[in-house]
Amino acid sequence: MTYKSDIIGHSVKRSDLIGKVTGDAKYAGDLIWPGMLYGRIKRCKVAHANIVCIDTSKALALPGVKAVLTHENVPRVLHAGSPHPRSVSVTCDQYILDSKVRYWGEGVAAVAATTEEIAEAALELIVVEYEELPAVFTVEDAQKPDAPLIHDRGFGHNLVLQPQVFTRGDVEKGFAEADFIIEGEYEGGRPTPAYMEPNVCACQWDGNGKLTVWISTQTAFMVRGIMAEVLGLPLSKVRVLVDHMGGGFGAKQDLFQHEFLCALLAKQTRRPVRMEYTREETFLGGRSRHPAKVWLKQGFRNDGTLTARQAKVVFNSGAYGSHGPGVTIVGTSALLSLYRCDNVHVEGRCVYTNSPIAGAYRGYGVVQTYYALDIQMDEAAQKLGMDPVVLKLKNAVREGDIAPSNHPLIGHGLEDCIKHGRDIVGWNALRQRTRDKGVVRSGWGIGCEMHGSSAYPGIKEQGNAIVKMNEDGTVVLLTGTAGLGTGAHTALAQIVAEELGVCFEAVSCIHGDTDVVPWDIGAFASHTTYMGGRAAQMAAAKVKEQMLARAAVLMDVAASELEVTGNLVFLRDEPARCMTVKEVVSAKKGIPAAQFVGSATYHPTKSYSFAAHFVEVKVDTETGLISVSQVVPVHEIGKVIHPVGAAGQIEGGIQQGIGHTLYEDYQIDMKTGRSLNANFVDYKMPLSMDMPPIHTVLLETAPDPGGPFGAKGVGEDPIVAIGPAIANAVYDAIGVRFRHYPIRPEQVLKALREKELLEEGAIA
Amino acid sequence: MKQVITFTVNQEEREIAVEPHRSLLDALRSEAGLTGTKKSCDVGECGSCTVIMNGKPVNSCLVLALEARGADITTIEGIQPSGEEVHPLQESFMQCGAAQCGFCTPGFVVMAKALLDENPNPTIDEIRFAIAGNICRCTGYTKIIEAIAKTAGTYPSCTNGFAHKAPQPLREAVATALEKA
Repeated sequence: MTYKSDIIGHSVKRSDLIGKVTGDAKYAGDLIWPGMLYGRIKRCKVAHANIVCIDTSKALALPGVKAVLTHENVPRVLHAGSPHPRSVSVTCDQYILDSKVRYWGEGVAAVAATTEEIAEAALELIVVEYEELPAVFTVEDAQKPDAPLIHDRGFGHNLVLQPQVFTRGDVEKGFAEADFIIEGEYEGGRPTPAYMEPNVCACQWDGNGKLTVWISTQTAFMVRGIMAEVLGLPLSKVRVLVDHMGGGFGAKQDLFQHEFLCALLAKQTRRPVRMEYTREETFLGGRSRHPAKVWLKQGFRNDGTLTARQAKVVFNSGAYGSHGPGVTIVGTSALLSLYRCDNVHVEGRCVYTNSPIAGAYRGYGVVQTYYALDIQMDEAAQKLGMDPVVLKLKNAVREGDIAPSNHPLIGHGLEDCIKHGRDIVGWNALRQRTRDKGVVRSGWGIGCEMHGSSAYPGIKEQGNAIVKMNEDGTVVLLTGTAGLGTGAHTALAQIVAEELGVCFEAVSCIHGDTDVVPWDIGAFASHTTYMGGRAAQMAAAKVKEQMLARAAVLMDVAASELEVTGNLVFLRDEPARCMTVKEVVSAKKGIPAAQFVGSATYHPTKSYSFAAHFVEVKVDTETGLISVSQVVPVHEIGKVIHPVGAAGQIEGGIQQGIGHTLYEDYQIDMKTGRSLNANFVDYKMPLSMDMPPIHTVLLETAPDPGGPFGAKGVGEDPIVAIGPAIANAVYDAIGVRFRHYPIRPEQVLKALREKELLEEGAIA
Repeated sequence: MKQVITFTVNQEEREIAVEPHRSLLDALRSEAGLTGTKKSCDVGECGSCTVIMNGKPVNSCLVLALEARGADITTIEGIQPSGEEVHPLQESFMQCGAAQCGFCTPGFVVMAKALLDENPNPTIDEIRFAIAGNICRCTGYTKIIEAIAKTAGTYPSCTNGFAHKAPQPLREAVATALEKA
C-alpha cells in the first residue's frame, strides 16, 4: 500500500521545542513548593564493607534537619534495579539501603533539610562504622574460586546469571571447513551516558496516603510499579509525572536509590521533598555501559565466505545486576548475525564486581560485541587480501536470514547501506589513493551494525494508545511513552494526523501522567516510533472509522466511498462533494457527535534497522592524537517519519560513539575502587571543536510492516557502527590495529614506536 | 545571614535576599524564580547555566550572587523580544532540530546571542569556538552550529526536511555558500 503523505516524512515543527528554546519548559528540578525540603544522600568511601553501625544523632540535632534515613529505618524489600515486568532482562538484587555496601560511592543514608546547605552539612555529621571486606574490581578476580561473594544469592562465582549460550549449526565442522582462521581479544571501557540533566525527583503525599512523584525517567509506569511494590501501596496510590526530561540514553530506565528515599523522606516529614543528584553523584549513583571483554574466533574460506564464528563475552556488571541479564543476552546473541554464518557458538557471561553499576545504555551490549566483530572482519579482509567493503558485502545478512530474535529479516538493508556509502564516499578511489607519509596521516574505515526495534523476544512488549476527537475536529493522543528528547511525541502525533487525514497542528499529545495515559513499558529499545507509533496509528484508525460512519450518514453515502485528507472528508469518485472534519463532528442542534474515541494495544515482534558508517580520521604521529574529520553514516530505518529528528538521533549517537571510542572512560582506582573522574573535566566528552561534519544519509529501502507506515527504530543504531569504523580507519591511516576502546594518544604513540622498532629490526 | 542585593534581570530591576555563598545560578533559579537557566555540573564545566552579565557570557554557577550586585543580566527568559514572538535564534534552533532533550539549550541560545551581539557574521569555526564551553549530549552539535549560522546568515538554510538528501558535509556547503556570496 502506498500513502500520499504530506505529514509523515516531513520535518514538522516539534511541539516540545518552543518551551525548550525559551526556557519555559519545566523539568523536575525546576519545581518548587512552599515548605519544600531538600534531600541529600550520604555515600560510602569503601568498595566493599558491612555497616557495623550508623550514628545519626548529631545530624538529627542540626537545626533545619527534618529526617534522616538509614538501612535501619527504611523498608527492607528486595527489588529489581529496573523493573521490566516479568522479563529475564533484569536482576532482583537490591534494597533501598542495605547493611552492606558493594561499591565506592553507594548510598548509606539520606537527609531531608530546609536548605541544601543544611542537608549537605548534616551528611558530614552522620558517622558510619564499616567492617571492610576484600573487594574485586575485575571480572577475572571476581570469578576466581576464592573471590569474595558480592551478593549472597545468584549463581556462584559472582555470576549475575547463568552463562548464556547461543548456537547455530556445528562450529567445529565450520572451523574444519575453513581455509583460514582468525582470533583475537577485544575490550571495551566504561563510558557513561552523561545526560545533561542530573537524576532528579520530587515527592509529595496527600492526606489520603497517595504519593505523587515528579521525576526524570524513561519508564514512568515501571517507576510506579516498583515504587508501589517496595512501599507496599496499590498502583492507584502512586502517581508518576514526567514532563520534560534532560536525556536518558537508556540509563534512566533504572530506579535509583534517591527515588525511594525521596518518597520516604516526604512521607516521614509530611512535606514535599526534592532530591537532585550533583554531577559527581550522577557518575557515582548512575549507570554506565558494561565494560566488556570479547574473545572472538572466525573461520573463512579463501573466497571470503564465513564458515564458523565462536565467541566468549564477559560483561562487568559492577555492584548490582541492573540490566546485566538483558545486556548479556542481547549483546551476545547479536553475534549470531550481521555477517551470515551457518556455524556459530557464542557464550556470554555477566559478572558482579565492586565497581560502579553498569546498566542500560544506548546500544545495550551490542556496542561491545559488534566492535569486536566489525574490527575482526576488517582484519580478516586484510589477511585475505580483500577490500573490507567487498568482504562485508559478501557476508552481509539479507532477506530471509534468521536474526538474533529468530525472525527472518526483511529486505536487504545492510547491503543497501554499504553500497550506498561506498558510492557516496568514492570508496574504491579512496582504497587506491597514495597514502600520506607525513606527520598527520589520514585513513578511511567502515563499520556496520544492525539493531532491533523493541526488546522482543526478551520482553513480550506492548504499546498502547488512546485517540479521541474533540467537537471542533482537533484530536488528542494519549500515550504513556516518555519524551526523553528524541521528539517521539511529535512523531506519534504525525502518525495520528496522517492516519486520520487531519493536519498535524490539529493533534496534541498528552503524556507523562500515569493516572491519565494508558500503560506504557517505557521509552527504550529503539521502539517508541515503531511500537508506540503503531499503537497510535491503530487507535487513530478506529476514530477515523467512527468519524467516516457519521460523515456517511450526513452525506447520505456509504462510508466505504469516503476518503479523508487535509481535514476534508470527500467522496472518492466525486471529490467536490465534501465536508470538513469539523463539520462532521461539530454540534448539531447543540449536541456534538458521540465521542469518537479509539483505544489500541499493539504487541510487536521486532524489526531490524541497519547502518554502515564511513569515517575519515586523521592521526598525528607526533602527538598520537586521533581526530575524526568526517563521517558519512548511511542508515536504513524504513519509512522516515521526521527526517530532522531521525538525523538528529544519528548525529547525537555518533557524538557519543566518537566519545567512547576515543576519549570517554569512567575510571576507578583498581586498589580502592575510588571514583577517579566523576566530572566533565576529567571525563572527556566530544565538544563542538571535536565534532566533524556529518553527512547523514537515510534510506527507506526495507520498510517493516510491523511499524507505522513501515517505520523502524533509529535511536540506538548510530552509536554501534561508529566505533569499529574509527578503529578500522586508524588502521588504514597508520597500519596499527587497536582492539579496545577508548584508543588513547599515548597508546597510539607506543604502538607506533613498537611498529617502528619491529620494522627496523626486520630490516636489520 | 542573607544579604539583600539588587540587579537588573531581563530589563527588570529585582531585589533579592541571598546567602553570601550562593551562586548567581542558584539565586536566579531559587530566589528570582527564573528556572530556564539550567544546572548540570555546577562547577563551570558544561555551560548549561550561561547567562549574559554586563554584555559578556558567564557561567552563572561560577559567579557569586553578591558579585552580580548592580549588574545587568540577561537569562534565557529575556531572549524573546516579546511574549508574542521568538528571537531568530530560537526560531532557527527549532527549525534546524538544534534542541533535543533541551536541557543544554538555554545555555546554547544565550551563548549564541552573546556571540552574535559581538560578531554578527561569525564563520563556522568562530561559531564552533564560541560554543566550545557548552556541552550538548544529544545533537552532535551539527544542528546547533547550523542554527547559529543560519541566524547569522552565514549558512544558506538548515537541512530541515531534507536531512536525508543533505548534499555535502557542513564545511563544504558553507564554503560553497560563502564563495557564491
